[in-house]
Amino acid sequence: MTPYAYFSLLQGAGVTVALSLLGIVIGVPLGLGLALVRWARIPVLTQVIAAYVSVLRATPLVTLVLLIFFALPSIGIPIDPIPAAILTLALNTSAFNCEIWRAALIDFPKTQLEAAQATGMTSSLAFRRIVFPQIWRTSLPSLVNEMTLLVKVSPAIAVIGVVDITRAAVRIGAETYEPLPPFLAATVLYFVILLVLVRVQRSLESSTARKFGSA
Amino acid sequence: MNNEFAIVWAHKDRLLFGLANTVGLVVIATALSLVVGALMATALASQSRAVRRPAQWLVDGMRCVPFLLLAYIVYYGLPTVGIRLNNWTAGLTALVIYHSSYIGEILRGAWSNLPRGYIDAAHAVGFHGQVLYRRIILPPIVYAAVPVLGNQVIQIIKDTAFLMIIAVPELTHAASSIQATYYVPFAAFVAAVALYWILCRGVEMVVGVIERRAEARR
Amino acid sequence: MTDRSDAIVAEESTDVSKQPVLEVVNLCKSFADHQVLDGVGVSVAKGKAVCILGPSGSGKSTLLRCVNWLEKPDHGSIFLSGQRVGVRPGGAIPMSASELAQIRARIGMVFQHFNLWPHLSVLGNIIEAPIHVKRRPRDEVIAEAEQLLDKVGLRDKRDAYPARLSGGQRQRVAIARALAMRPELLLFDEATSALDPELVGEVLAVMEDLAREGMTMVVVTHEMGFARDAADEIVFLDHGRVVETAQPEQFFDRPQTERARQFLQRFEREWRPK
Repeated sequence: MTPYAYFSLLQGAGVTVALSLLGIVIGVPLGLGLALVRWARIPVLTQVIAAYVSVLRATPLVTLVLLIFFALPSIGIPIDPIPAAILTLALNTSAFNCEIWRAALIDFPKTQLEAAQATGMTSSLAFRRIVFPQIWRTSLPSLVNEMTLLVKVSPAIAVIGVVDITRAAVRIGAETYEPLPPFLAATVLYFVILLVLVRVQRSLESSTARKFGSA
Repeated sequence: MNNEFAIVWAHKDRLLFGLANTVGLVVIATALSLVVGALMATALASQSRAVRRPAQWLVDGMRCVPFLLLAYIVYYGLPTVGIRLNNWTAGLTALVIYHSSYIGEILRGAWSNLPRGYIDAAHAVGFHGQVLYRRIILPPIVYAAVPVLGNQVIQIIKDTAFLMIIAVPELTHAASSIQATYYVPFAAFVAAVALYWILCRGVEMVVGVIERRAEARR
Repeated sequence: MTDRSDAIVAEESTDVSKQPVLEVVNLCKSFADHQVLDGVGVSVAKGKAVCILGPSGSGKSTLLRCVNWLEKPDHGSIFLSGQRVGVRPGGAIPMSASELAQIRARIGMVFQHFNLWPHLSVLGNIIEAPIHVKRRPRDEVIAEAEQLLDKVGLRDKRDAYPARLSGGQRQRVAIARALAMRPELLLFDEATSALDPELVGEVLAVMEDLAREGMTMVVVTHEMGFARDAADEIVFLDHGRVVETAQPEQFFDRPQTERARQFLQRFEREWRPK
């Protein structure tokens, strides 16, 4: 592979990382918000969100990105490939994150909440100071796992023209008639990205264990 | 908007053809992945390092590779070493390689949770080798793993959509071609999403039925 | 339960010095078909320690949890220093979340299972509510927290995390945490029931000190020795009803009712003076 090919792939890696990161930065808090609404059992909204989660978890990312990219303009909202890609990744991961956060909220010991209420904390104060600091740590493995899954389905955005690692590799292969080298290089790039994610998670987990001990 | 849906309905046979392809791919891929996965589980649980290590590398490898990339490698990359597959077969092959690794790991996990005594009893009566595996080990671990396997089938359903990129005429490809021809993007893709949802709900219901039967037996 | 009689009770208590800190009137509560509290009435004057005794299932914990509205009673009323708990004056409209939180901030509760917050240190647990609920300045709160830690004998555990403490130590931290809010009323819900026998003493010692110093407290407990020595009044609950109310010496030596006598027989070894 030529140096230009390597450069192309690295550019693609930049796109993959940037767009995945944006999807995560939007999707994780969004998922938390959705989970909180369901936990608080707000009428109507709870059912709507349940349906949203059910549909999004069943929809392939390719189909979703095509829907968003082609259908939004047809109902009057023009959208470019990159924003469409970010929106798709964010919506998709928000549905999975909603379930992760919900599980953590349901498992949270009610007794600690009672202690907080007994001290005069309102629900939102108790959530901010007592619930959230603990559930983000216990959910970390699931959250990072979902992030790796997001990176692994991110090549779907290539179908609307965004040049990520996969599309860059395909292009190089098409130009050089030697598809295997760029594909293998692409594999290595994805492997590195996923490895970094897992390492960050492991170090966060061990620093938590060291600090709070195991009860 | 209603007009859009009417157009899609008028061409529903294209959509249904795509759906049939999706279902066909999913059924065959699941069946093959279960078989290969069961074999992989034996390799993963093997005492011999020479067998276990490569199997673990394969599983870890499949966990680090996006499915679409694997599909590309099978479809575009293999011809360079002489193996030329058509897009449908390449897609199926990629699905099986990918998901049999996951299923192998799932089954291995369920296997390690089998109580030791259960296997000892079978050994004591003379079961061994292939027959032991097929008749004594596989049934309970498959039952135990049904919910997780159900999730894996849903993953397979969703991964088939990637194959539209290599022109396999499955559901998303059909929706895409309808929208390209008749300019009905909203209706076409909403219809596709609805069909995917129905497929996934179907799998969840089947899993629910099997789980209830497993409970009843216990 | 009519609202008029609630109003009368409230009006009677305008004389602040004579006003009970806690007034429970005709409290009723059921879970499913089971009537747990059936017309319970209790009055706790300032500076008094009241012990609630009774067999399991008599409704003691439920009564306590109704006081700070962790359980919502079906009927009846609860007054903290003359102010109605859980419901706005008038009796018809429930309190808003923030009003409820304000009332709860004036009541301290010590739970059977301590319920410390594992992600905060001992000091962190104690200063959390005063800083974030009462918005008191951090330095002031920390200084007071350290004094409280001295009081419960855990100054050296200031920076430890709950996971590393014994049950007795955790409960003492929980007591300090409740005290840090300077509550008008302190509730103890079987505070020693989850502790290993060797650790019960250290917690009871703290509770006895508090009673002696004049803390207004309501204690649900099985510790008969503590009830005899530290309580100002015994309330005996059985099947959701107040069966007998008396001074400790009278209750333990000359119980008036048959059920109290039966109950005491079971625990005779524990409270009989040696």
